Amino acid sequence: MTTSAPPDLHIEVRGLRRSYGTGTTAFEAVRGVDLVVEPGTVVALLGTNGAGKTSALEVVEGLAPPTAGEVRVLGLDPVADRAEVRRRTGVLLQTSGFPADLTVGETLRMWSATMTAPRPVEDALAELDLTDRVDVSVRSLSGGELRRLDLACTLLGEPEVVLLDEPTTGLDPESRRRVWDLVARLRDRGCSVLLTTHHLEEAETLADRVAIMHAGRIVREGTPAQLGADHPSTIRFEGAAPAGLPDLAGLTAVRRVAADHGRTTIESDDLQATLTALLAAAADGGVRLAGLEARSATLESVFLAIASGAHTDDRALEGADR
Amino acid sequence: MTTLSLSRTAGLARANATLVVRNKLTLTYAVVIPLAPLLLLLLGDSGDGSNGAGAAAIVTALMMAALFPVFYNLLSQLVTRRDELVLKRLRTGESTDAEIIASLALPGLVIALATALVAVPFAMLLGQPAPLNPLLYALTVVVTLLLFAAFALWTAAWTKNAEAAQITSMPVILLAVLGQVAIGFPDEVRRFTDLTPGAAMTDLVRVSWFGFGTDDVERTLDFAGTWSAAGQPLLVLVAWAAVAIYLARRSMRWEPRS
Repeated sequence: MTTSAPPDLHIEVRGLRRSYGTGTTAFEAVRGVDLVVEPGTVVALLGTNGAGKTSALEVVEGLAPPTAGEVRVLGLDPVADRAEVRRRTGVLLQTSGFPADLTVGETLRMWSATMTAPRPVEDALAELDLTDRVDVSVRSLSGGELRRLDLACTLLGEPEVVLLDEPTTGLDPESRRRVWDLVARLRDRGCSVLLTTHHLEEAETLADRVAIMHAGRIVREGTPAQLGADHPSTIRFEGAAPAGLPDLAGLTAVRRVAADHGRTTIESDDLQATLTALLAAAADGGVRLAGLEARSATLESVFLAIASGAHTDDRALEGADR
Repeated sequence: MTTLSLSRTAGLARANATLVVRNKLTLTYAVVIPLAPLLLLLLGDSGDGSNGAGAAAIVTALMMAALFPVFYNLLSQLVTRRDELVLKRLRTGESTDAEIIASLALPGLVIALATALVAVPFAMLLGQPAPLNPLLYALTVVVTLLLFAAFALWTAAWTKNAEAAQITSMPVILLAVLGQVAIGFPDEVRRFTDLTPGAAMTDLVRVSWFGFGTDDVERTLDFAGTWSAAGQPLLVLVAWAAVAIYLARRSMRWEPRS
């Protein structure tokens, strides 16, 4: 086990690669990921299905060795220093199970018996709102209750680092909100959280920083606001540009003008300036713009642009903001 | 990962024991089947050594203890828990791989050891002799149980699901019972069947408890003689255990194939 001063970074991933299979069937799921999580922050790894989020997270969890690159959790190697890392880390898998014939209480007591310094089972039950389900067998739990039991086990050892793989997938909106509140409380306690998700709202709500994965690489990273700022805002109206308007591409701060599905879309680097110029031109020309809407760039627009393939070109990937 | 924390292993084993007790069918297989052959002692030779029925009853009880609470119970638990992703979940906690496996095997091992232990006073009560070489008897029991636990781990690696375990368990069951079945076979065949773990275990129990030489049904060995008579079958049993442990370590799978 490595001994050193407390690390500045709770999670540090450098040049991570992970491949499956060999020879002609080999598939590289993670293709050189760099990522850091600072103490007391929440980082969301966002991506479409198959982007490589879980494959990357499993290496951070110590469940699989990297094919190449280096991973440190709390300054330690999660495989070589497994005992120390596991004692200070809580892991929630994307899908996992518990023996169906045990009760909720028995499951937590079993989990508690394997830990160096667990908190009282009753506290974990109360935090996850499972106190009145303590004597219910696991097979009788709903999907949301099962996920909460899973979370209770994850947090039983009061971990410093929490790794959550799609923590709210399959949950109803109320359960999802509860999990979000819980993650916020973890951050308030000083925990570092790395979570994967494909829910944009989840990443925007919870994360201090968001890393967007696509095809095994991180193609954008930053705060939700920074990611939006890098991306153009949009102005849309119905129909083609009416006669009486000047050339839309010549308006202030316009990046691109497109016409599709019977609508005109203007991408702008300065929403207020472009919108002001457009409305002034429309007023001057006596033109009414039907269905006019203007939106700042959101994580959604960034994500959709990436998911639709705008970043599949390797040159674009290499030039992308890591 | 080879370290073993007793408290962690005991904590997991307690939960696994609860699961065995809670499932009536598993409990029946694990407890009744190993103990039932001992009832044959009530109908046996009452210790007069006329037909070796007492030895056969005890050998059968020990073989059933190795096959059901240890081999089959561990095999079905490993396959089921792996399919349900319980094993993968356990590996995310502080428990080491060795602790997870030991905790799954422990309830069955305890039942099998208890069977081997209970067999002694029960048999003596019904007129059978005390084990002639208790140390050799204990060694036989321990190596046999470890061997069949390792067989369970190896078989689980290529068993798709709990239903498939009914078929994939057959080769090991055959290796276990062939030694007893083949007692009446010609010597040319016996030379090969004697190399099975079941035959080696049978010979070792007959030697260590009853002092029977090969094919004898009456005591022909003294204490020192049991050690020399045990040489070949003990070597066979240990060799099988080494192979089984090697195969188990190489093939262990913690989650279903994707």
